[in-house]
Amino acid sequence: MDLLFDSVQSALLLFISFDKDLIEIVGVSLRVSFFATLIAAVIGIPGGFIIAYSSFPGKRFVLTCLNTLLALPTVVIGLLVYSFISRQGILGPLGLLYTQKAIVIGQVILIVPVIMVMTIAAISRIDSRYRMTALTLGANKYQMALVIIKEARYGIFAAVIAAFGRVIAEIGISMMLGGNAKGFTRTMTTAMALEYDKGEFVLAVALGITLMVIAFAINLLFHFFQGRTVTDAV
Amino acid sequence: MLYRAEDLRRVHGSRTVLNIGKLEIEPHKVYTLIGPNGAGKTSLLRILAFLDRQTSGSLQFLGRQIGSGEKQLYELRRQVVLLDQTPIMFTGSVFTNVEFGLKVRKVPQPERHRRIAEVLDLVGMASFADYNARGLSGGETKRVALARALVLQPEVLLCDEPTANVDNENQEIILKSIERINKEQGTSIIFSTHYLSQGQRLADHTLLLQNGMLSDAVNENIFRATIIGREKDSITCRLTGQLVFAFPADIFPADAPGVKVHIDPSQILLNPVESEMGDGNSLSGLITELRQDGGRVRITMDIGVKLVLSLAMDRYRRQKPCVGDRALIYIPHGAIGCSRAGLP
Repeated sequence: MDLLFDSVQSALLLFISFDKDLIEIVGVSLRVSFFATLIAAVIGIPGGFIIAYSSFPGKRFVLTCLNTLLALPTVVIGLLVYSFISRQGILGPLGLLYTQKAIVIGQVILIVPVIMVMTIAAISRIDSRYRMTALTLGANKYQMALVIIKEARYGIFAAVIAAFGRVIAEIGISMMLGGNAKGFTRTMTTAMALEYDKGEFVLAVALGITLMVIAFAINLLFHFFQGRTVTDAV
Repeated sequence: MLYRAEDLRRVHGSRTVLNIGKLEIEPHKVYTLIGPNGAGKTSLLRILAFLDRQTSGSLQFLGRQIGSGEKQLYELRRQVVLLDQTPIMFTGSVFTNVEFGLKVRKVPQPERHRRIAEVLDLVGMASFADYNARGLSGGETKRVALARALVLQPEVLLCDEPTANVDNENQEIILKSIERINKEQGTSIIFSTHYLSQGQRLADHTLLLQNGMLSDAVNENIFRATIIGREKDSITCRLTGQLVFAFPADIFPADAPGVKVHIDPSQILLNPVESEMGDGNSLSGLITELRQDGGRVRITMDIGVKLVLSLAMDRYRRQKPCVGDRALIYIPHGAIGCSRAGLP
């Protein structure tokens, strides 16, 4: 108990003193998670919309595959991407291995299914009259899609939040593709694992608290916007 | 011709929801589409709005054959607007909702603002422009939806039961706006309704839909008939399990076990004189309701079943029937029609 108490106390001191290592690690984590989420959103939201709104043979199979991908272990993605970007891989000459870009690639693969599945669910709940109304008022299919996405924005926003939460807390991809290089690819989770291995709990606890605060702040922001709009509607 | 359709069919699964042999709709007129629930009114309106495609048959709009190309349908939708039975508002204010169609057409902002102000004034919603569109009542929502359609100045306005679930005040505003837009801008209007009187008040033409088919029979005085006796030239039936009724065998489908009988309200005579009576049924009943309907008077009678008569105004003035009076009616055989299709 004393160990935990001392660690929390020391972690708070790290925060107060704006510890350089701590800020650097948090910065790397936020940067890779932000870009991974952004790229996954650009792929996943339109992809989810197209799957939700089109009917094609094998749609159910695609949905089953996407749902299965939600449970894909990060180490499997790490291995898969590694096989492409390692020196012997077909993308080896690009020199991506052990860079932040490699982590972003792996994390995008991890969360595209999350965003797609949640976008499909959000759009499927939207009343079909929105589509009909937009079309009869003269919208083309892109303008109609924007109407639907606007009406489903909270569900889609929730998908993006969930995806961000997934990548900022994952460790397998960051460790395997990033290599945990200090100042370059060391993220909060890989740093926590390293500090634990070393038996140094102070930085690990500080990073753990930071992770929790970030998760809490993002959810708070989401609820703030949602709540404000609900209030506006009354 | 505005619309010309031939052998138009729409099939959902194993059910044919629309089966129209021929339909011609003239421009700049008001048409009303009357029929009971499930008659195919909404399906027809959605096809005419180019939102759904027919399963088979041909459809022409202003002389152009309608194909299946998305580009053509998109262009046609810009000339035709469908007002839904239960319209839905987009997130935002009344103003932004009405603005939507103009924005997608890239109408310049000053013109957008002018047209929105005019149309909101027309439907009596000018003071609601900044209100949240989701916070409106049912009647107000319908008026905003009407404004959202009218602001586009469409060639054709299709309205699916525009006055359903709306109070009298809102009904009156909606109907007057429709009437005005047809007279002032020559907009062709097709609207569906359950109410024959509403249709007759506004429409130049009435289309009757029953079981997906256009019908000549009116949507009132429809009874289920069960045969209780057959003679050489006539058949005696019981209508809706109560009223005993006789009519000539030749209008009765020969092999049908039961039929649907419809009686034209405008051909029923109230308190006829001897010379007006020939082959037909004389019955007596109690007058339960009187209502003015355009240039005629609608009389509802209880003759064991509810029967509606539509009396010419001069005849009404001569006879002066009152609610509560017991009266004699005469139903000539010519007023009776039979069909076996789709018993309700």
